[in-house]
Amino acid sequence: MREQVLRFGKSRSLVGILTDPPAGAAADLPAFVLLNAGLVHRVGPHRMFVQMARNLAAMGFVVLRFDHSGIGDSKVREDHLPFEQSAISETQEAMNCLSALRGSKRFVLVGLCSGTFTSFRTARSDSRVVGAVLLNALLESPETINEAAVADAFSRKTARGYWHSKIFLSQSWLKIITGKASYRQILGVLYLRLRSPFIRRRSNNYGPKQIAADLRSLIDRGVKLFFVYSEGTSVLEYFRLTLADEIRRMTPSDKLRVEIMQETDHTFTLLRHQAHLLKLVCRWARSMARD
Amino acid sequence: MTLEKINPFFFGYSATRLFGCYHAPRPGAARDCGIVLCYPMGHEYIVSHRAYQKLAVRLSQAGFPVLRFDFYGCGDSAGDNDQHHLGQWLADIATAIDEIRRRGRVVKVCLVGLRLGGSLAILAGAQRGDVAGLVLWDPVISGKTYVQQLTQIHHETLQHADTPPSSALVKEKPTEILGFPLTDSLFADLIKLDLLAIRQKPANNVLVIKSDPDADGGRFTEHVKSTAAQVESQHLPGPQLWTADVNKVLVPNQILGSVVAWMSRVYP
Repeated sequence: MREQVLRFGKSRSLVGILTDPPAGAAADLPAFVLLNAGLVHRVGPHRMFVQMARNLAAMGFVVLRFDHSGIGDSKVREDHLPFEQSAISETQEAMNCLSALRGSKRFVLVGLCSGTFTSFRTARSDSRVVGAVLLNALLESPETINEAAVADAFSRKTARGYWHSKIFLSQSWLKIITGKASYRQILGVLYLRLRSPFIRRRSNNYGPKQIAADLRSLIDRGVKLFFVYSEGTSVLEYFRLTLADEIRRMTPSDKLRVEIMQETDHTFTLLRHQAHLLKLVCRWARSMARD
Repeated sequence: MTLEKINPFFFGYSATRLFGCYHAPRPGAARDCGIVLCYPMGHEYIVSHRAYQKLAVRLSQAGFPVLRFDFYGCGDSAGDNDQHHLGQWLADIATAIDEIRRRGRVVKVCLVGLRLGGSLAILAGAQRGDVAGLVLWDPVISGKTYVQQLTQIHHETLQHADTPPSSALVKEKPTEILGFPLTDSLFADLIKLDLLAIRQKPANNVLVIKSDPDADGGRFTEHVKSTAAQVESQHLPGPQLWTADVNKVLVPNQILGSVVAWMSRVYP
C-alpha cells in the first residue's frame, strides 16, 4: 500500500491523498473516491476514511480521498460557484485525475451525510460512476428539503429515542410518580408511536418523487448502491418517510442494498461500530470486484 | 484575499512517514525563525484542524515559514489509530524540526501546540535544549486529569447520542475515547505525563494561553518560570475545542491573533 499527495483541479487547488494497492492498479477494478463528510477534512470522522482507503487498497482498489474547495487543505474557489455545483464538478475532476494517472475508467463514490448528496448527484450525471456507498444518506439538498417532513422525522426520532431509552427505564416512571417528569412530552411520545401508521400513510404524499425516479434510473443503468444507516438517527427516519416504500418496490435487487446498524450514532463513533462498518463496506466492495 | 501558498507532502523516515503542509513565508517579509505546529490528538485533532490551517496561513503571512504536520498514527501520516506512543510523537517533532529547518532555511525554531500537542512541544523543548520559543495553548499539564476529563466527555457524548449504546457504562479504565482507541501503552504513557516534573528550561520564550477560566494554570506558569524561561501568560476566554461537538470545526480568532502577535513581537 502506497500513499501520495495529489494536487489537482483547474489550478491544482484541490488536495487529496491517493492510496495505491501494493501490486499497482488493476485495470478491471473501479477506483474509489471518498468525499468529505460535512466540514471534516479528508481523514473523515474518527479518521475512518484513512482506514477505509488503506483496507480498500489492500483489496486491490485505487482510492482517492480529497478535500472539496474551502475544506481541509484545498483552497477556497474564486468563482463563487454554489457548493452543490462545485462539489459535483470537483468530484468529476477527481475522477479525471485518476483516469489520467491510473487509467481508471469506472468509479465508486463513498459519502457520509452531506457527502452522500454529492455522491448521488454525481452518479446521476456521470456515467463513469458504477457504484456508491451512501452512509447515513440525505439525498436532498438541505436548502430544498421538505420542512414538514424534517419536522416529522425529528419527532419520530425523538419518539423512537424516548420509546427505547426512556419509557422502559424505571427511573422515568419514578419521575412520573414523584412528579418530576414532563407528562406532556411522554404522552406525546406515546401518542406519536401509536399513530405512526397514519404518519406513514400521510408521508407518502410528500416523498421526493424525483429522487425515487433517479434511484430507479441509476439502478437501470447498472449502478450498485449501498446504503448504510444508523438506527435512531433523523436521516434514517427521513429516509423511511420519503424513500422506504420506493426502495421496497425496487428490492430484491443485486444493485441495491440497505443495511441498518443498531445502537450506533451518526458518525459510527464506537470502535466496534467502525470495525463493523468497515467490514460491511469491504464485503460490498468485493462484490464490485466480481462484476 | 490573502495569498495562500502551501505545499502538502510526506516526509521523514520510510517506516514512519509523516504528512505535513509547508506554508512558505510571505515573499519579502521572511523572518529567520521557523514554526512547527503540533496538533492535539484524537477528536481534538479533527475539531482543531481548521484552526491550525488558519493559524498557519496567518503566521506565514506574518513572515514565518510554518510546518503543520500529523503525528505518526494520526491524520494522513502512516500508522494506525492504535499505534500511538508519546515517545514516537516526540521523535516526530524532531523529524519535523529538521524538515522546517531544511525547507525554511532557518536555524531558529519555535513550537506551537494545543492540548497534548502543547505538552509534547514543551517536553521536546526540555529534552532538546534548542527550541527558541513555545506557544502552549491550553496544554495538558497532568495526563491523569486529561484521561479523566476525556473519559467523562466520551460518556456524556454517547449518552446524548441518537441511540445511546447500552455498553456506554463508565469503566475504570477506558479503552476508547470518542472514536479513537486508548491502548494500554498510550494509557500508561499518559498517566505518567506531568509537566510540573520538567526541570530543564524548555525554551527561552514561552507563551501560555489559557481559554478555560476554571483551569489552574497559575501553578504551571510559575513552574515554567522556575526553569529560567521568559514566560508570558494570557487568559483568552474562547471555545474549548476539546469539549466541542466532534462534527464541528471551530476557529477561535482571538487566540490565533494573539499567537501571531506574540510571535511577531518576540521574533521580529
